[in-house]
Amino acid sequence: MIIEVDRVVKHYGNVRAVDDVSFGVEEGEIFGLLGPNGAGKTTLMEILCGLRKFDEGKASIQGFDLVKDSRKVRSLIGFCPQETLLYDLLSVRENLSFSASLYSLSRSKFKERVEFSSKVLGVGEFLNRKAEKLSGGMKRRANLAASIIHDPPIVILDEPTVGFDPTIKREFWELIKNLKTDGKTVLLSTHDMYEADEICDRVAIMEKGKVAALDKPHILKETIGGQPSIHVRVKEAHTKKALAALKGYDGILSGDEIRIASKDPWKTMTEVSSKLSFQGILTEKIEIVEPTLEDVFIKLSGRKLTEDSQ
Amino acid sequence: MNSVIGIAVKDIKTFFRERGTIFWTIAFPVVIMLLFTAIFGREIPFNANIGIVDYDKTPVTTSIISGLNGTGAFSLKVYTDKTEALKDLNASNVRGVVTLPEGFTQSLYYQNATISMAVDETNPDVARLVRDGIRTYFSEYYKAFYNVTFGVDYTEPITVNEEASVIGQKIGYKESIVPGMLTYPLLFSSMVVSTGAIVFEREKGTLKKIRASPVRPINVLFGKTLAALFQTAISILVMSVLAVMLLGPNLNWNIPLLTPILFLGSMNGIALGLIISCIGRAPQEASNAATTMGIILQFFTGMYFPIEYLPTYLQQIGKFIPMTYAAQALRDIMIRNATLADLALPLTTLTITAIALYAIGVLLYRRWVEK
Repeated sequence: MIIEVDRVVKHYGNVRAVDDVSFGVEEGEIFGLLGPNGAGKTTLMEILCGLRKFDEGKASIQGFDLVKDSRKVRSLIGFCPQETLLYDLLSVRENLSFSASLYSLSRSKFKERVEFSSKVLGVGEFLNRKAEKLSGGMKRRANLAASIIHDPPIVILDEPTVGFDPTIKREFWELIKNLKTDGKTVLLSTHDMYEADEICDRVAIMEKGKVAALDKPHILKETIGGQPSIHVRVKEAHTKKALAALKGYDGILSGDEIRIASKDPWKTMTEVSSKLSFQGILTEKIEIVEPTLEDVFIKLSGRKLTEDSQ
Repeated sequence: MNSVIGIAVKDIKTFFRERGTIFWTIAFPVVIMLLFTAIFGREIPFNANIGIVDYDKTPVTTSIISGLNGTGAFSLKVYTDKTEALKDLNASNVRGVVTLPEGFTQSLYYQNATISMAVDETNPDVARLVRDGIRTYFSEYYKAFYNVTFGVDYTEPITVNEEASVIGQKIGYKESIVPGMLTYPLLFSSMVVSTGAIVFEREKGTLKKIRASPVRPINVLFGKTLAALFQTAISILVMSVLAVMLLGPNLNWNIPLLTPILFLGSMNGIALGLIISCIGRAPQEASNAATTMGIILQFFTGMYFPIEYLPTYLQQIGKFIPMTYAAQALRDIMIRNATLADLALPLTTLTITAIALYAIGVLLYRRWVEK
């Protein structure tokens, strides 16, 4: 394990912000901490980056103890916080150069890393532009480039796409996947279940400072999220008739849709479809919906993931 | 609610919730008013150290010395040797030296009494006050003496022979003010720049980036110090060039001696700024604290405002402020042509205080980082 967290506890006064958390991150994987705001994700990340002390437990990065070898640990991590930490009056290149100086990068290595950032993160087109003149997306890319200018084996991203529109969010997901391709281990926090599902190899679901569940997204969905369901929408006038026709499937009316849980969704969908047409009920929509990480979170905490986070 | 009122209400609420800002906002007028009351609320708003050499040693001269001491305008230091007294005058330890010659008491009866006086000319305001004060005292003394002794009024004063001042020439206002002006960047630019440097990073969040890197806290401070030194140096350079161009003072610009004093003075200011930035929680608080401290300290350092205007007990505070030594050293170099040996005290003091204050700044910064 390149990152090992063992029973870490962090208090803020009487509040246990991080409560006996243990997990390990394998080299080269994208590991997500998924949870609502206040779940302890950022605190845990800041602990791993050496920005906060913790009260109990142990943690190590590449075998180096977080407390005893804190300087070594810091050199192994590229931390990209939620907020854009660029100096507005400096150009992107100057910002990168400053970040490089924090890690004592040689001139040739800096040049090489700027080329990497231009190619992989797409900062080349605005390298000489002042940070204050960049768009939000450009700033985030430059921020990420500055965070990993020293070519760290581990990249820690705190809510990397919060506030992004869907297009830029997808672009950023690609950048994160590129980091993995480049051999980096990525630890990211998010409250976006789609993001966790889309890019993370493994996810730890955090709730009230604890890790409530940890596994690959599809395993979490299969084991905790419940069965897939068939969502059917018929003409409003036919809803009651449809419910009666599908009585044997325990359908539930949710809004204008009838939802039927099934272990074998394809078979059930075929049956439902033929039953409805046999009764002369016109279907407007019929689809199989797989359980999401949101469902997993609801099962674990009894509330929606996005309620607190929006 | 009207937008103007809305903005004002928001700012006022914010102000009342930043305790440090409230403190400095209140502390500034309070301290300034207390200072001005202490300075100008007295009958004689002036007190200078004066040396007196009594070669006559009679009860009359003893009463003269006692009377001079009782005026409240002078703190007397009695010398037995005039050379010693002039040496202290040269070092600005006393602002004037009065010599009562042998036979002075006898000459009073013959109405041809003469004393000699040498005045420190490095500050024209102080020199004028000392000169006028001594002349007035001896004039009034002789009037009283003559009236008591002979029962008639006598209006002719004791002759005061003014000796050439130690520095050999009278100093104009522009010569006296320029060394003080050069102290300004040491007190304000360096302190405000270094306060802002840390506070800015903290406010913007960029300090998080620095702290997440393997850079040692001390290196962060060294980097900030170098930048603050650079900015202070620019301030000093611009001020010096403008002073020469606009005022053309007749001063000794001894760069090899001025440089270490300016460097050490700046380091003291920077260290103070670091301390303030680590104590202040909000940027506004730190900025107010730095400005207030700068304005208050300038009263005690004698950079513009002669410390002789302060009551004696407040004059002592200046001895504990490093910038006082820097201001005096600059004056000594530029006006008195001081040598390296003459600067031993300010150089030593400024070095020790810079190291001590910087060490406190480092400790506070480390503590803040660890918190």
